[in-house]
Amino acid sequence: MAVTIDYSKLRILPDSDTHEWWAATRRHKYLVRKCNRCGHKWFPPNLPACSNCTSMDIDWFETAGKGVIHSYVVVTQPIVGAFIGAVPYVVAVIELDDCKEEDGTVTRVAGVMMEDESEVAIGLPASVVFEETGDPKIVMPRWRISGTAPNTWKFSE
Amino acid sequence: MGALSDKYCIVGVGETPHMRPSNRTTLSMACEAITNAMADAGLQASDIDGMTSYQAADSTTSAHVATALGMRLNYCLDIFGGGSSTEALVAHAIGLIEAGYAKTIVIFRSMNGRSGRRMGGQIPGGPIPVATASDDNQFNMGWGWTTPAQRFGMSAMRYLHDTGCTTKAFAEIAVAHRYHASLNPKARFRQSITIEDHQRSRWVVKPFRLLDCCQETDVSAAIIVTSRERAYDLKHPPVFIMGGYARTMTPNPQWNYSRPVIHYVAGNYGWKRAFGMAGITHDDVDFVSCYDAFTFTTLIQLEANGFCGQGEAGEFVKGGRLQIDHELPSNLSGGHLSEGYTHGVQMVIENVRQLRHRADDACPGWREGKHTYDRSKGCRQLRKARFCCGMAWGWEAQASCLILRGMAA
Repeated sequence: MAVTIDYSKLRILPDSDTHEWWAATRRHKYLVRKCNRCGHKWFPPNLPACSNCTSMDIDWFETAGKGVIHSYVVVTQPIVGAFIGAVPYVVAVIELDDCKEEDGTVTRVAGVMMEDESEVAIGLPASVVFEETGDPKIVMPRWRISGTAPNTWKFSE
Repeated sequence: MGALSDKYCIVGVGETPHMRPSNRTTLSMACEAITNAMADAGLQASDIDGMTSYQAADSTTSAHVATALGMRLNYCLDIFGGGSSTEALVAHAIGLIEAGYAKTIVIFRSMNGRSGRRMGGQIPGGPIPVATASDDNQFNMGWGWTTPAQRFGMSAMRYLHDTGCTTKAFAEIAVAHRYHASLNPKARFRQSITIEDHQRSRWVVKPFRLLDCCQETDVSAAIIVTSRERAYDLKHPPVFIMGGYARTMTPNPQWNYSRPVIHYVAGNYGWKRAFGMAGITHDDVDFVSCYDAFTFTTLIQLEANGFCGQGEAGEFVKGGRLQIDHELPSNLSGGHLSEGYTHGVQMVIENVRQLRHRADDACPGWREGKHTYDRSKGCRQLRKARFCCGMAWGWEAQASCLILRGMAA
């Protein structure tokens, strides 16, 4: 069952630290921040300094937009108006495959799954999809399940 | 005796009724809570020379309250803050008194948390407004992930995955705190509930049901901190501040949800300091308070503060352990879940009342410390209340704690 979001009720206001990230989503690219000095990567992209080495000499890293569902919630009571018709919808935290660092540091991101809760489980692979919002300046990344996995876990209550 | 050496005390506590709505200003409620706290301590407005508060752009300020009450302050400050601010402002007050900036300091929170700005936002009535997302909200509102329930639920879900705990553990907390509310005439929700009632309540955001979520109320609450020397002259036996930690954080690789274990919360980085300062151990603690914005926040703080091992909190709370007359009573006023939502002040207030042996319950002699201990007659005073550990949650990555000692029983 598709989860539909009413983007006409949502207005994203990019700022000087984030407008390049939103510009990239318009080109269907999923970026995370990257430190030019030590290579640490992070999300969300509005954070303007590297938490590993404090450098503000930072750039972008274009991820493949693929990862594994680390956790999720199922929103049944909507708060943001754009989501009133979308409940129940699943918000997932996804650990990106290509942002794992040598010291074990990972980069996780979050977004709304395309699938409903019956299909979502921790441990499943997911990949990004880009959804038009009606606002030509904003294309919204969402996530869809992209395969199977041997060990998955589902909230079954 | 620990590092703080019992040098500072909480001497007055007071609040307004939990209302929905109050039909009052935050200034009016703050004045009432503070005058109640002064009367409780036996202090006059002229005895108060410091005032601090915390808020989220939803409240009056210390200077306004002081002006209204005719106080001439030597120090006032209003900080931006939510849960875990009360205990941090107690630490702050200790520093101010120690350094000579002020002698006797009021700390308050005043909020129309139900009728004014609601913490989690709210479902709009009528035509759906357009929500604007700037700053951090660019990266959560777009995915409908904004409220504390939605955010903390993410960590709770991973906790269930990692530990095998089930939401029956959440229910234990809802039931315990509601039982305590049933013994508290001030509480909003006093009808006892069962594990099954919790399990049957509607979903808000899985894994949280309605009975996992706190009550929004309109309320003000205040406490007064001063030095031991002054405390001895006041109305009640002093409650001594033994130790704590104040808005302690986790390390963060930029984002809370990129931390290796997202439910390894800030208390883990503070409790050794707090117990070291206090010079007591967990075994000495007679009761606790645990910031219960959600059942899960209580559960995870018990674990984070060393009351049980990692991943063991679900087992730990089973069988009513957190209920009065059991091993580790928690949130004896009913807490945020059942008494009402003060953004944390009420936990300190209740702990002070318990440590004085003067819980304001149904016992006719409670003002003199005379209690029946008969729960069926509405007594909620602990028989033994000497040491208390209060644990406060800001969010996964930020927490405070306050270990207190009373002179009574």
